[in-house]
Amino acid sequence: MTDRIADILPPDQSLGRVSDQLTGIPLHFPARRRWWIAMIVASGLLLLLVISTTALFTRGVGIWGINIPVNWAFAIHNYVWWLGIGHAGTLISALLLLTGSEWRNSLNRFAETMTLFAVICAGIYPVLHLGRPWYLYWMFPYPATMGVWPQFRSPLEWDIWAVLTYLTVSLAFWYTGLIPDLAAARDRAKRRGWQIFFGITALGWRGSAPHWQRWSQAYRLTAGLAVPLVVSVHSEVSLLFAAGQIPGWHSTIFPPYFVLGAAFSGFAMVAIIAIALRSLFGLGNLVTDDHLDVLGKVLLACGLMTGYGYLFEVFDALYSGGAHEMQTLSDRLIGAYAWTYWGAIVFNFVPLQGLWWRTIRRSGWMLLLISISVVIGMWLERYMILVTSLYRDFVVSSWGAFTPTFWDWSTYLGTIGLFLVPFLLAIRFIPMISIFESEELLHEEQEARRG
Amino acid sequence: MRGDATRPNTPRGPALWSSVEELSGDPAFEAWVNAEYPAAATLGPTARRTFLKLMGASFALAGLTGCEKSPFVAALPYVEQPQGSTAGVPKYYATAVTLEGYAQPVIATVYSGRPTKLDGNPDHPMVQGRSDVFMQAAVLGLYDPDRAQAPTHRGEPVTWNDVQHQVELLRARWSQSEGEGLAMLLGHSTSPTLTRQIAALVTEFPKARIYEHAAIGDGRRPDLTTAAYGQPVQLHASFEDCDVVVSLDDDFLGVGPQQVANARAWSAARHRSADKPGLALYVAEAVPSATGAMAEARVAVDASRVWLMARGLAHACGVAGAEAADVSPAEQRWLERAADACRSARGRALVTSSHFGSDATASWVARTNALLGANALIGAAKPAPGAANAGALSELARDIGSGAVDTLVIIEANPAYTAPGELGFKDLLQKVRSSLHLGTHRDETGDLCEWQLPLTHALESWSDARSVDGTATIVQPTIAPFYDVRTVHQVMALLLGQLDPTPETLVRDTWRATLGDDFETKWTSCLRDGHVPEQKSPAPSIEAAATAVAPPFPDDGLDIVFRPDPTVWDGSFANNGWLQELPKPLTTLTWSNVVSISPALAKLKRLANGDHVKVTIRDRSITGPAWILPGQAANTVALSLGYGRSKAGRVGDGLGYNAYDVRPVDQPWQTRGSLHKLGTSETLAVTQLHHRMEGFDFVREVTAAEIGHQKAEAPQPSLYPAKPSAPNAWGMVIDLDSCIGCNACVAACTAENNVPVVGSAEVKVGREMHWLRIARYYTGEVEEPRSFFQPVPCMHCEQAPCEMGCPVHATTHSPEGVNQMVYNRCIGTRTCSSYCPYKVRRFNFFDYRLASDAPEHAAHNPDVTVRSRGVMEKCTYCTQRIEAAHVAADKENRPLRDGEIVTACQSACPTRAIVFGDINDPASDVSRLRRDGRHYVLLEEQGTRPRTTYLARWKSAEGQG
Repeated sequence: MTDRIADILPPDQSLGRVSDQLTGIPLHFPARRRWWIAMIVASGLLLLLVISTTALFTRGVGIWGINIPVNWAFAIHNYVWWLGIGHAGTLISALLLLTGSEWRNSLNRFAETMTLFAVICAGIYPVLHLGRPWYLYWMFPYPATMGVWPQFRSPLEWDIWAVLTYLTVSLAFWYTGLIPDLAAARDRAKRRGWQIFFGITALGWRGSAPHWQRWSQAYRLTAGLAVPLVVSVHSEVSLLFAAGQIPGWHSTIFPPYFVLGAAFSGFAMVAIIAIALRSLFGLGNLVTDDHLDVLGKVLLACGLMTGYGYLFEVFDALYSGGAHEMQTLSDRLIGAYAWTYWGAIVFNFVPLQGLWWRTIRRSGWMLLLISISVVIGMWLERYMILVTSLYRDFVVSSWGAFTPTFWDWSTYLGTIGLFLVPFLLAIRFIPMISIFESEELLHEEQEARRG
Repeated sequence: MRGDATRPNTPRGPALWSSVEELSGDPAFEAWVNAEYPAAATLGPTARRTFLKLMGASFALAGLTGCEKSPFVAALPYVEQPQGSTAGVPKYYATAVTLEGYAQPVIATVYSGRPTKLDGNPDHPMVQGRSDVFMQAAVLGLYDPDRAQAPTHRGEPVTWNDVQHQVELLRARWSQSEGEGLAMLLGHSTSPTLTRQIAALVTEFPKARIYEHAAIGDGRRPDLTTAAYGQPVQLHASFEDCDVVVSLDDDFLGVGPQQVANARAWSAARHRSADKPGLALYVAEAVPSATGAMAEARVAVDASRVWLMARGLAHACGVAGAEAADVSPAEQRWLERAADACRSARGRALVTSSHFGSDATASWVARTNALLGANALIGAAKPAPGAANAGALSELARDIGSGAVDTLVIIEANPAYTAPGELGFKDLLQKVRSSLHLGTHRDETGDLCEWQLPLTHALESWSDARSVDGTATIVQPTIAPFYDVRTVHQVMALLLGQLDPTPETLVRDTWRATLGDDFETKWTSCLRDGHVPEQKSPAPSIEAAATAVAPPFPDDGLDIVFRPDPTVWDGSFANNGWLQELPKPLTTLTWSNVVSISPALAKLKRLANGDHVKVTIRDRSITGPAWILPGQAANTVALSLGYGRSKAGRVGDGLGYNAYDVRPVDQPWQTRGSLHKLGTSETLAVTQLHHRMEGFDFVREVTAAEIGHQKAEAPQPSLYPAKPSAPNAWGMVIDLDSCIGCNACVAACTAENNVPVVGSAEVKVGREMHWLRIARYYTGEVEEPRSFFQPVPCMHCEQAPCEMGCPVHATTHSPEGVNQMVYNRCIGTRTCSSYCPYKVRRFNFFDYRLASDAPEHAAHNPDVTVRSRGVMEKCTYCTQRIEAAHVAADKENRPLRDGEIVTACQSACPTRAIVFGDINDPASDVSRLRRDGRHYVLLEEQGTRPRTTYLARWKSAEGQG
């Protein structure tokens, strides 16, 4: 496989030029104006999050549209969505590293960065959604004087551990992968401040053979940890729902269905960012049309597997014959929130079919639009899974409705700010494409061509 | 403020308000006021008190801007405990609150001099310990911060001394003219003391005129019985002796002073035996009601056609002179079934008609009953003696218009709000030279009257009243009045020229003659028992009169009927938050009233729920939101009284429309009018959005034939091991065949468990906090549905999904099988509620607690924690009562007895539909019911193994009604 995709990077470029090009981005930032505009918008959104959170903590979760029976809505829904987006970074980096799919090398750095910040966005929601967030620490098994422990049967308890583990491993993996590049940046830095910053963060990397050997071991081991975590975290997230008895949730298909859905939305987000960065910094030589082609194929594959999940969810309900399951199915297909179901189907799967064609996969704009559609579609899917199950569960007399309020939206948009601000800072200050890995790949390609 | 002890600093407004209450009783402060304002020192003692009070009020205004000083700011512990009382141990007093003037005999639970809970008096022959929503909610009315707190003259606070001066002037005038020009308007009252005082006043001033006005009262009962029997009588049907009851638009199980007695008797008859329904109910009605919901066979009949059904039934039963009615096939089927049932149960079959209905209906019903030999079942009784020769409100209006009224005294009535709009009573009130309003609130009338004299709440009063069956109860105070208010008898005594008699004396004087010898002993036992043993006057013999006329309805149009509101009644409970938030039985609507219309009319006029419609009667109209009520007769529109108030208080103002505006004087209950769609609409605060049962079997029905053939199903298997049980295992069984959806249980739960009131906006988004909801369903066609009620408290599942979901152990299982909620451990993830298949948990989305100085605070049950923001809550099976019973049993070193623990909902239920007890004890009531053939489990297939289970509704063998 490596051979066939071997010349994914144009071979007519020198290693030194690639290093200069990539380290040059933080050191001599090329798109200051556009970056500042993006930063102002992102900071505005972040400010909105601060305001929303202040309102939330002072007044209570009642500022959202949640009620009985729809206890959970935007907070849990966006939590799942952000976490799903985060997974692609890990999958691209770790899984493809382990399988030796070298084409990942142009994409893994920002995909990992994206993971990190998406997990942070996801991670604040379980705190925000608490009725009494100041008692969050009761979820942790600390030696309380009263002798009370968390309840380990609760999927929420598993969730805390799953997400924290995932965040830690993602951070470790991201940073390990960054070390050689931080050293490269250090060596090219002219100003004293940059030299110190990169000097410290490079942890004394000199590029010696033992360094490379140990690094490679550590990197692969962390990757080996990260891959099963993607599966476990999102399986666990799905158990938040599947462990309850609510029709539309109580299904064994949920774990794989959620993991695939997460990868689907995550790869879409990777595609969006890759295309945006490529055009922003003129990185067409490193993020090539071939990369987009591969991303498109992966997206298509994930989408089809997610579609399989949709089909089997329907089959499950029909096969079970349970009156309440059937009721929920019909609520999804023709109920008050049917637009979320059909919206999810249309946004997720209709534009996706374009990816069967090579020209569309290789066109930045087309892939961008399809990916945006998938991200919206997956957002609608989470909304659908939560609201259409809860608003009409078992007993008819408890049926209700859900309408998001201003604060629901402002908190959600605010987390987009929370994602973008650190992400923009990262592309400003950190090499966004792995220098050494790109060079390694380029070198290998050139060697292969010569040999 | 730490000022000089002898010379306080000059009050400066907001910074100082907290010190005002310290100061106003302080001698140093008074001395300082005297020095600063020498004029104040020379005023008489009362006047100076007023002056200080005014000072106090203005300080409060300066600091708090509009908040009245609450008498409940601080709770101070006793330094020395009073004799005979233990802090935290309640005392119980037998007394009564009133509904429409009728006594509702209660036992008041009083903690440290503070009544917190009312329950029906178990020793009273009529209520026998059961209650209704008004009884349950009355205690909140006591603490209503919007009550009139001192007498006012044209809106300015005055003292009772000033009132006395005015009354002396008036008495001087009346003495000269023998009361010429004096008019008294009374609300509906049954108080013997008030009657005595009115009689004394009429004796003293013979030319004084007495008028009576009740917005609802007995409806048209006196007129109807006069038409049917030639004399006005009260009717108390003996349902317990009936096998068949046919109701012609008579909602005898519905809300009203008679509800408790009727519901009790009906359910006693219905459940005479365990293997078949003991009473069959046939209902023809215009507007769906509780009675209709419980019927074997129900048919929707337009209000103006009810008399035809009465005649048709009379014809079918063979009453002489009754012609067959021209009726629809559905009506014919119903008539045949009802008549068959009546004929086969002769002597034990009773036909009833509405006290809001027409003379013709009443007359045909009387003749049918006579033929069926049901006169003994009617329970005719002499009406309670009221004021003799009292005029009607329209006569008062005429007299004021002609200038014959000089002074108007209005006692416990609110005609400025409840008078039919066409009388223009507000304007008339301005024509009277001197007007006095006696009432607990400065309401619409009190606001317009020259003098408003605040009365005590029943729970602060010495008074007396009779329940609908005529039994008298002495009303004794359970708390000292905390505002500057007097009992109605004290004010009447003032009008009679008596100087300051004690409130108790006035009531004692009434009863001295009745009770006879050994008065003190008998008086004490009357107070203790909560009712007065009296010789009942013999039942009047009744004979159906033979003449009747069809009700004339000259105008074309829709039938418009007026109905009391199921939760705020005639509007007098409008400022009671508990009642406003109580879902109305058939609509689950809160905080408003609607124009209820039939599905057919909705289709015709293209109306949806909440669409604004204009209802025009003659030349007056009102605008309100439409509500499509399944089962309402096609051309009948129902307007609900009691809303659209402007001076009810902070809770009740500005809600709904005022149906009194369009109520005709001559046809107060049923008239003709038209309805137009306006094009605008609103969202209504309903607690249940969907009412059709959608083919599920939440409410099950069984026929007597099926009952023996059901085999008990084994519980669903579970992976979890069975939990070991404590000696007691609590369970609850709710008999759906008894539940009439009256909401008394919900109101009782609210009062017992400090359930917060969240307001209309929160109810609209689905955040009402009731721990117990009465699910209301219908099945079948919307035109002729079958209705069901199902109270749904926490199921206390043995395999509770909620317990598994909570990450912090905030909801756990007790060894006695109660699903517990640990409020102070809850962090508010709401997982428990998401996982709950019954959705019985309630969440504090905001801080719904009252401000700590709100007077309503005093109504809280001190045994139940008040929940803060972000905490889940739900039914606890009244765990505080369980624990109290455990303590009592442990003290006596004995096991708990069956029936020792009564949950709040159980004790309130007028039909005893709710039974609670120990399911480990095979002899307990609850265990017996769990073995009943009608027993079933809600969502049994979910394997949650609920402890709260149900008994199915009886279904008649003929199938659909």
